[in-house]
Amino acid sequence: MKKLISFLTLALATALVAPAAEPAATAAPAAKQAWSMNFDLDWTVAGGLPEKALLVSLQGLANRTSPQFYIVHPPQYQWEITGPLFEFYQRKHGVQFTELPTADAALAQFKSAAKGYVVWDKTVGASLNVAFTIAGLEDAVVVSEELIPLVEKHGLKPIDDLRGRYTGQTDDVIYQDAYDKYWARCAKDRIMLMGGHVGAVRMPGMADWGVREKMFFHDLSANPKHTKELALNRRLLSEIEPGGYVFGWHSYGKDTEEQYTTLLSTYGLRMEGLHNLPNLSFNCQFTFTPGFKFTNNHHVAKDAKLTAEPKVYLAFVQSDSIGIGVWTKPGRGKLPFAWQVTMNWTEFSPAALEYFHESATPNDYFIGGLSGPGYMYPNHIPPERFPLLMERANKLMAMLDEHVMEIMDNSAADGNVGNADLTKETVDRYYAAFPNVIGFINGYGPARTRDLRDTRPMISYDYYIDPRRPRAEVAADLNELIALNAKRPYFLLIHVRESNDVNSLVEVTKQLEGPIEIVPVDVFLKLAASNKTYTTRYQDPEEPKHFSGYPKE
Amino acid sequence: MIAGGLLALGLATAAMAANPALAGRWRYEPTLSTALDGWHKMDLVIALEGTKVAVTHDMLWIRSKVVATNTYDTARAVEAKDYFRVEQRHMAVYPAKGGVTTATAAWIDGDRVLRTEAFTPVEVSQGNVTMRITSEYRVSETGDTLTVIELHSTRNRPLVYVFKKVPAEAAKN
Repeated sequence: MKKLISFLTLALATALVAPAAEPAATAAPAAKQAWSMNFDLDWTVAGGLPEKALLVSLQGLANRTSPQFYIVHPPQYQWEITGPLFEFYQRKHGVQFTELPTADAALAQFKSAAKGYVVWDKTVGASLNVAFTIAGLEDAVVVSEELIPLVEKHGLKPIDDLRGRYTGQTDDVIYQDAYDKYWARCAKDRIMLMGGHVGAVRMPGMADWGVREKMFFHDLSANPKHTKELALNRRLLSEIEPGGYVFGWHSYGKDTEEQYTTLLSTYGLRMEGLHNLPNLSFNCQFTFTPGFKFTNNHHVAKDAKLTAEPKVYLAFVQSDSIGIGVWTKPGRGKLPFAWQVTMNWTEFSPAALEYFHESATPNDYFIGGLSGPGYMYPNHIPPERFPLLMERANKLMAMLDEHVMEIMDNSAADGNVGNADLTKETVDRYYAAFPNVIGFINGYGPARTRDLRDTRPMISYDYYIDPRRPRAEVAADLNELIALNAKRPYFLLIHVRESNDVNSLVEVTKQLEGPIEIVPVDVFLKLAASNKTYTTRYQDPEEPKHFSGYPKE
Repeated sequence: MIAGGLLALGLATAAMAANPALAGRWRYEPTLSTALDGWHKMDLVIALEGTKVAVTHDMLWIRSKVVATNTYDTARAVEAKDYFRVEQRHMAVYPAKGGVTTATAAWIDGDRVLRTEAFTPVEVSQGNVTMRITSEYRVSETGDTLTVIELHSTRNRPLVYVFKKVPAEAAKN
């Protein structure tokens, strides 16, 4: 998100504007036969990127009508779950994978899915995104010039050649040309923001999804300094259907996560990333296995009343979605942990959700987020778009058996520090939209929006655990918060940044001083409802904002 | 009479800016220091004038720069509306809105060390509370290293920040 930050999702099979799709009770007709490839970590433009771009475009085409082609990434890849999910498909869906050892073998297997190829220009970065757009529309694979002999060997013919077409042109000019030529034929309920890494390394791992779904690819800037790119960006976003998706991620070289998420939120759209999230074209075609039903590990009934004792209550929450976090790291289950699930996975990757639920320990508890049915900043969602989005979130939370909603608005923050608060108007909207939750969580870094209405508290994070911070200092920080908040009970909500190791957190908790009790987040919220020792607070209009948002058009 | 004489001597000592080696620009050395949280870089720029000691914090977080000066006076307590505290910014501890910090300073240990003490109001989730921050500024014998030891009334583990002197020419850039 910040930053490393990062939020995720999987893929989407139905139009976003459609009502929340109920997962089928039985598995879809799964392809029992599929093929897989093992990727390495070389995504350099001068090295492994061209072949990977070819393969993910081929994957998008091969998976158009049925799930045939799956890519396994090394455990060090940002998305750790491709290996475990590969095993899950075999075990739970009976998929029998045949490994394809080379791009040559992949083309031999799937060449019939492609009508030809489009050549991108390695000297013009944006041409790769234009090539992906063409690939989706024309059923083409994407190649750089040195790979032309390989695809021609398999009988593929040239469809388009971008070499030299955009030489010397700026990105706003290039994407304007692409807009004029292709936008009319692209999907209008979703768009692919293929940004992320820039320069010597690029990582378009999500391109299979965009090719399959015929999306418009771009990495236009949301940075107000880039006026021409921003203008075209706004035009594109304004033409996405209400409630639609921006897949992918912002360009690390042009703008910030905060800027882009603010921008799409002003159009009532939602982000589903990252740019390197793999295999959506495959994952979206599986539903839950027969008889599977989400059952969360609730520790307290929705209507229960608890009474807080004079203690320090701690709860840990891991956001950034579970696939990118610490789920597969040692120690999970040793502490009560809440895991923020991007709710749209019910549509995009049911198997992944089932995998997580299947492997949950009694200490793992799932909560909804992030801010709604997708990643967005609620302070900037147009009021008229808010109810529709949150109605959808309510349905998805019910399906996922989730009782807690996590909210994040970093539009005014500076990375993961600074102003992460909600306006009173935003808080009012959440209380109106979610009458059935047991409470709300706010923030990413620390924040100070707090409230209690009827039995539903809204608590912000008092602490964010940076994975790089020495554990002794983390313990000292937490002890200082406990000392500063001297009334008992004290409710200390902690955000665990992705990649923190749970075992190290166990050691931290042993160093805490005072009458502490670590509780699951649902219990935490119920206790917080019983004795309001925290202040009521919203975003203060006088507080500095690192970024104030975009003017209305 | 004696007391008056001591007071006069004390003021004279303070007026001499007891340890001139403290003055200048100092750069945070992360490998020797307590980790900063929510900041990437920190310079201290210390100016001495008579009994006044101005400590400017030149902070960087990603691309955001914050420059803030706390001015102490070794002759008297001072009050500041915008006292700067080196926050661990991943903690929900904020300067209290409208809060006034009271701070004192003194040269100690044979005038080699500057000690400051600030009572600063902070906002936490339960409301506003006062944090006492006691700091010692110690310059090495060779004059190239500054160690700042910061103790909070609310933290048992001191924060130790080590700085290296930035040569005068480099400090101009």
